[in-house]
Amino acid sequence: MIQTGIPKLDEYIKGIPEGKSLLFYIEPGVEESNIGIHVLHHNLERGLYGIYISSETSPRNIERIFDEFNWNFKKYDKLVIIDGYSPLIGAPAYGKYVVEEPHDIESYVDLMFQIFEEIDGKGIIVFDSLSNIMDLCGEREALEGIERINKKMRKFASVYNFIAWPYKESILYKIKRIFDAIVEIKIVENDITLQRMEIKKLGWEGKKEGKLLFKIFKPEGIRIYIPKICVIGNLNSGKTTFIKAISKKFISAERLGTTVGIEHGIVDYKGYRAEIFGMPEEERFSMLAEKFGSSSKGIFLVIDSTKPEEFESAKKMVEKFKNIPIVIVANKQDLEGALKKEGIKQRLKLDAEIVETVAKEGKGVFEAFEKLVGKILEGKC
Amino acid sequence: MLAKVGIERLDELLKGGIPLKSNVLVYAPPFIGKEIILKRFALAGLYENDRIIFVLTDKSFFDLREEMLRLDEKYEEYENKGMIKYIDVYSPSVDLKEKSKWVVFIDSPINRERIASSIIQAQKEDTKNRYRIVFDSLSTLIVYSDAKAVFRFLQVLSGICKRMGSTSMFSMTRGMHEEIEVQTIKHLMDGVIEMREEGARFQIRVQGCGEVISRHWIDYILEENEIRLTGAFRMGRVA
Repeated sequence: MIQTGIPKLDEYIKGIPEGKSLLFYIEPGVEESNIGIHVLHHNLERGLYGIYISSETSPRNIERIFDEFNWNFKKYDKLVIIDGYSPLIGAPAYGKYVVEEPHDIESYVDLMFQIFEEIDGKGIIVFDSLSNIMDLCGEREALEGIERINKKMRKFASVYNFIAWPYKESILYKIKRIFDAIVEIKIVENDITLQRMEIKKLGWEGKKEGKLLFKIFKPEGIRIYIPKICVIGNLNSGKTTFIKAISKKFISAERLGTTVGIEHGIVDYKGYRAEIFGMPEEERFSMLAEKFGSSSKGIFLVIDSTKPEEFESAKKMVEKFKNIPIVIVANKQDLEGALKKEGIKQRLKLDAEIVETVAKEGKGVFEAFEKLVGKILEGKC
Repeated sequence: MLAKVGIERLDELLKGGIPLKSNVLVYAPPFIGKEIILKRFALAGLYENDRIIFVLTDKSFFDLREEMLRLDEKYEEYENKGMIKYIDVYSPSVDLKEKSKWVVFIDSPINRERIASSIIQAQKEDTKNRYRIVFDSLSTLIVYSDAKAVFRFLQVLSGICKRMGSTSMFSMTRGMHEEIEVQTIKHLMDGVIEMREEGARFQIRVQGCGEVISRHWIDYILEENEIRLTGAFRMGRVA
């Protein structure tokens, strides 16, 4: 199976079967529209062929993009670049495969058929971008040519970047019909850098719907992005230690051993990126914690497993947050008398998953993170 | 509410300027002063504390900056205050190396998606102030693809920019395009400032742009960095 390399999306759609096509239907104005290049790189890394059709940017620019992500362009001997750009602007051609007549879809079709004969292997084809090829070659003609390429590709799967400019309805309808899968990409209002991916069509086994918030970071690449997770809990339950343990970056708000402001950590784990905010437990911050917490995507409630007498006040802290996924971090499991999951569950009586942790040793912390992320993604984003 | 163009008698003709949040096309043959209108429009914006986004397809940001400094030596101060951003679609294609923190480089005029997203993103960086977008020129985009594709691009871009409260001025070179292409682009504009050369005379006229004093062709004199309207346009008197 060929993969997109986009965390969670591959889990939803179970990769792209050979011979199938996936269209990224991209709202104009999306900051980083070139998802295709990430799909390309992911498959090259897996040792597969990667064919990249460059129609709106110089192939040399692809090298630059690889550099921005610290990917070594020269290392991939199965990378095939098709230059559909240089002939357009009269620049010297790039490499072996050049689209002689970029205004004629037949030129693309002939070249692709030639490559299918020459290359005996499996991989991904990335068209960047379909909308530009349609603008150059004529909308209907381009789509008919693309249909023929898709039918011929056998061991390859194809991915198309399509910028959804206001084409005629009949053209948009045709586009939606001829591709096996469609993933829509939109800007999230109020944050142009944050984008939402939504499965709109899936013509093979897999989850037919699903939404993901994501962001593209340089040099890390695509991350499923969770903008706000709150960490709350009683004094000395180990919130700060927990945030430190899961974060790759951490900004402290600690004074004399107590947290006196909002702490901030950035988690980067298995393709997920989350901003974590630790709430101070002092009474004077309770309004702030309530306001902040109610707009968060998920909540970690950190408890000291050795202090059941504090469970009631911990429970009160989260009861005000309705419809927000919660994971209970049962911390300090290394200490004598620490209650286990079942004991905590009986006493706490909260409908939330419990994960046993020793935050100071990093034990269980990522399990808690994965559990909360899973719950967040099950809901709407 | 109006946005001054920064050319005294042209603003007079426009009854104060072009309407805020409008898109205006400056349509003229080469070398008869359309760039002066664009640059004056940008400067007038800076004087009113507006933010400026230049989109450049025919010259580098570096060359434009030099030209702007010739118009106003304080231009650099505005730049240092972060009031000016450049989207330079020219320098990468000719391999120019000058860099600046105020510039986003785009390697190709065909990459309309990236141009659109860069303009939108630049406006989102400071939502407290008004923006003026100076786009020089649409002709390059049309030459590299076609008017229909540029039309779709403008349809999306102008809608978003209007929603964000920005006023835009685009240039297009007369003589480079088929009439149908020109009409396609004009269709999307709220106004057109048109210029022509009639024998030894230069003339300008305004179409759309809200209420104006006259829609007739008016004579102007072209100087190094100035356009001076010399034709009369008051109370029914026309040149």
